[in-house]
Amino acid sequence: MDTFKVKIADLAVLRDQGILITVGLGSCVGVALHDAENKVGGLAHILLSSSCQFGNRSNSFNPAKFADTAIPLLVEKMEKAGGRRIRFTAKIAGGSQLFTFQKTGISVGEKNIEAVRQTLKELEIPLRGEDVGGNFGRTMRFFIDSGKVVITTVGRGEKEL
Amino acid sequence: MKKRKLSENKLDVLKELANIGVGNAITSLSKMLNEEKVEMDVPVATLALLQDIPDLLGGAELPVAGIYIESHGDISLTIIFVLSLESASNLVSTLLPGSRGEFDEMGLSALIEVGNILTSSYLNALSFMTNLQLLPSPPEIAVDMSGAIISTVMAEAYIVDDEVVLLRTFLNSRESHIAGHILIIPDRGALDKIFTLLGIR
Repeated sequence: MDTFKVKIADLAVLRDQGILITVGLGSCVGVALHDAENKVGGLAHILLSSSCQFGNRSNSFNPAKFADTAIPLLVEKMEKAGGRRIRFTAKIAGGSQLFTFQKTGISVGEKNIEAVRQTLKELEIPLRGEDVGGNFGRTMRFFIDSGKVVITTVGRGEKEL
Repeated sequence: MKKRKLSENKLDVLKELANIGVGNAITSLSKMLNEEKVEMDVPVATLALLQDIPDLLGGAELPVAGIYIESHGDISLTIIFVLSLESASNLVSTLLPGSRGEFDEMGLSALIEVGNILTSSYLNALSFMTNLQLLPSPPEIAVDMSGAIISTVMAEAYIVDDEVVLLRTFLNSRESHIAGHILIIPDRGALDKIFTLLGIR
């Protein structure tokens, strides 16, 4: 079966079958979108919540890095691959707070989770499973044919969404 | 995507700054390890894609101990000291005689202290050479997948460029079996300031 790795601040779409993997989600959030009927799936590894401050500044702007730009782009790519937006469902993981002594205020992880939930809501994509928060990293394996998402950790076992 | 460019000359200057700074840091580490010899590779200065950094450390899923310090003041830098779990454990048991090298509260504070001393000696040297005021934040530590640690540090430090200037050194103490990487990521503004200060165009 095809296995495709999605790196930090990147996204990918597969059809019919295969596994999309993203390794080492810390404060980042992995977003898996699935169209069960057409068997189209996409996975994004989001680093930061909002592109607002950066969109115009940088000439090397990468939309896959931010929640508010990565998810719409993932939706677009899945539609091009034959998916239908009305059937999309989402599963998300990550957004943890790895470091012991945090700065004051909301952590980057929490901001990311919130931004992902908000963007999914705006796009009317129902959230069907999540494994978020905590203080540990996660790896996400997304099986395109079934829509199953398996989360692995260092020393904290495995979980299926 | 527009690629950034940095001349060989500039990269060499950064390499030299890293060399002197890390050399100073290694001397401090050696003192902590009862004057044991600590070897270091010549630092490498490169433009690296953020997403490729975990691979330079042995893979994004590899469990490591990562100590991370941000330094602000006249310029901003992010410094990460990355050790394999085995090295981190050896370091703890060398520093805390009688301990089993576990990552309990004592073990983690010992590692944080090493990060503190390494970073301060590096920053002191850099400050001495450039006359810049550098103010390190308290170190933070995490034991987890290297990919999770690196990406979290990038997000915390708000590094939004895909490509960063990475100064990387590998250090190794054969006697205590401690090996690790020191990664230094100056922010974009920091580089401009350093080059201007040194009269490099």
